[in-house]
Amino acid sequence: MTNGTRWALLGVTAATAVGVGRTVARRRHRHQPERQNGWYVVRRGVTVDRPRDAVIGFWTDRERLDQALVGWAVLEQLDDQRWRCVARDPSDGGTEWRAEITVDGPGTLRWRVEDGPVPQEGRVELADAPQGRGTEIRAELRYRSGPLRRAFGLVTSHEPDLALRDTLRRVKALIECGQVIDTRRDPSGRSPAQEKATDKVREKLMTGGRA
Amino acid sequence: MRALCWEGVGKLAVRDVPEPQVRADGDIIVRVRASSVCGSDLHLINGYLPAMREGDILGHEFMGEVVETGPGVRRHRVGDRVVVGSVVACGGCWYCRTEQYSLCDNSNPQPVFTEKLWGHSPAGILGYSHAAGGYSGSHAEYIRVPFGDVGAFPVPDGVPDDSVVFASDAMPTGWMAADFCGLTGGEVVAVWGAGGVGQMAARSAQLLGAERVIMIDRFPDRLATAADRVGVETINYAETDVLEALRELTAGRGPDACIEAVGMESHDVGAAYGYDRVKQSARLQTDRPTSVRQAIMACRKGGTVSIVGVYAGLIDKFPLGAAMNKALVLRMGQMHAQRYIPMLLDRLAAGEIDPGYLATHPLPLEQGAEGYELFEKKQDGCLRSVLHP
Repeated sequence: MTNGTRWALLGVTAATAVGVGRTVARRRHRHQPERQNGWYVVRRGVTVDRPRDAVIGFWTDRERLDQALVGWAVLEQLDDQRWRCVARDPSDGGTEWRAEITVDGPGTLRWRVEDGPVPQEGRVELADAPQGRGTEIRAELRYRSGPLRRAFGLVTSHEPDLALRDTLRRVKALIECGQVIDTRRDPSGRSPAQEKATDKVREKLMTGGRA
Repeated sequence: MRALCWEGVGKLAVRDVPEPQVRADGDIIVRVRASSVCGSDLHLINGYLPAMREGDILGHEFMGEVVETGPGVRRHRVGDRVVVGSVVACGGCWYCRTEQYSLCDNSNPQPVFTEKLWGHSPAGILGYSHAAGGYSGSHAEYIRVPFGDVGAFPVPDGVPDDSVVFASDAMPTGWMAADFCGLTGGEVVAVWGAGGVGQMAARSAQLLGAERVIMIDRFPDRLATAADRVGVETINYAETDVLEALRELTAGRGPDACIEAVGMESHDVGAAYGYDRVKQSARLQTDRPTSVRQAIMACRKGGTVSIVGVYAGLIDKFPLGAAMNKALVLRMGQMHAQRYIPMLLDRLAAGEIDPGYLATHPLPLEQGAEGYELFEKKQDGCLRSVLHP
């Protein structure tokens, strides 16, 4: 190989590496949540095919709400405007989350996690969807997490953003059809070990999905 | 109970599996009386849609008898004979409210796969892989049907099981294909694929006003059946240049509407087909779009191309220029079962459509794997194997 060929190859390799690197960096940048004073900020929305009153009605109907939260979270009313929510994450060894929820007005509420693995707070606003398509639930979530911890969270499906998307999907399903469909224990010809592996795949296919 | 399970690419076996249980208020449990194989199962069995897990129970086109109902079920009672639409629909979202049931927002509990692949997640489908929700299928003695009030329909007395089973999928798919064509009466419609769905699409086009239906396939027995049972003209693409033939059969215009009822494993002859096979085998494209290309090229200027054959991902050499410059209307989708089934059951009871002849091979569940082989290889004149658990 002549020196000229070597230089040409080196040049092509370097140009390719820089090009690929830039593309990857841009892609990463596009997928990073916004950062504000050390907080990650994400905004997620879901459209529920019910008028705004019906969506508010769901949250104020204690019986339906408790039914919806069975096995997932317990709500305790502190006063007219404030609630305490204790949630347990069974997929994470039963980690407990405690949050305070404050109702600011019709269709607006805030929450703040007081005790949990990741500090977070957020707010929810309701808006009428266009063309009579119901109500847009718009949520803004702020959480503190290091970049490494965030990457780890994305891999292990324990990232607050993924949990927010799941919650919105769950809320939409509960309001629209009264249940969150689950196929985890449907019959199959799998051995217990195969079923366990399939459950992990299911978990990946469920986490963070939108309606 | 016994069930036909997927055991790896190209491998099926009947296994002992647990019985399904009512798990939500709206669930019903159906004892399956007839469950048909479907061309779209082949894409799953052969690994073209890589979302199957070992042990998954196949089957989505079925009918049977209600044996248990959840406390919230209003329209069905134990003992009812029902046919069930293969797409799962919640009945409460905007898509269901506007009768676009196969786009239901709430029936796919595992939306991540299709969201990444297609941008949004459509409805779940029974027995149709983990991309479509991971539901257990109907090639089993019993099946859980979620949202039973929305998805199951009582069957009129006197219509045999092996006829009504096709009201679950082949008939509504065929009807929707013809419905997409916007027929007003007197049109010429070409249909690619003389399988169950293609033949139902041809009959539906006739009922919706088409004056002539021309069917394209390469199996003489299927074409002969279609000519005999549905009264269509036929083109064997292995022997005839399809585009030339369609032009001449329509005095140069081309068909007013072209229905594609073949899907991602379509066949053809010639070098272009070889090229598609190589690309698909190397996974450089997921689907073989031979018949879609032909439909677009054949369709008259300003006509409609209606696609109900199943496609999963990416294709190559799509004639967008032809579609654009001929101002074609392209319509496609998984069928909205719940919209069409009640009307189709009425037509079935009135004898306007009789799909019973599609069930060429009624078989016990234990011979499920053999049923799929007969169907895939089109052996012994097989149009559809229908399993009886």
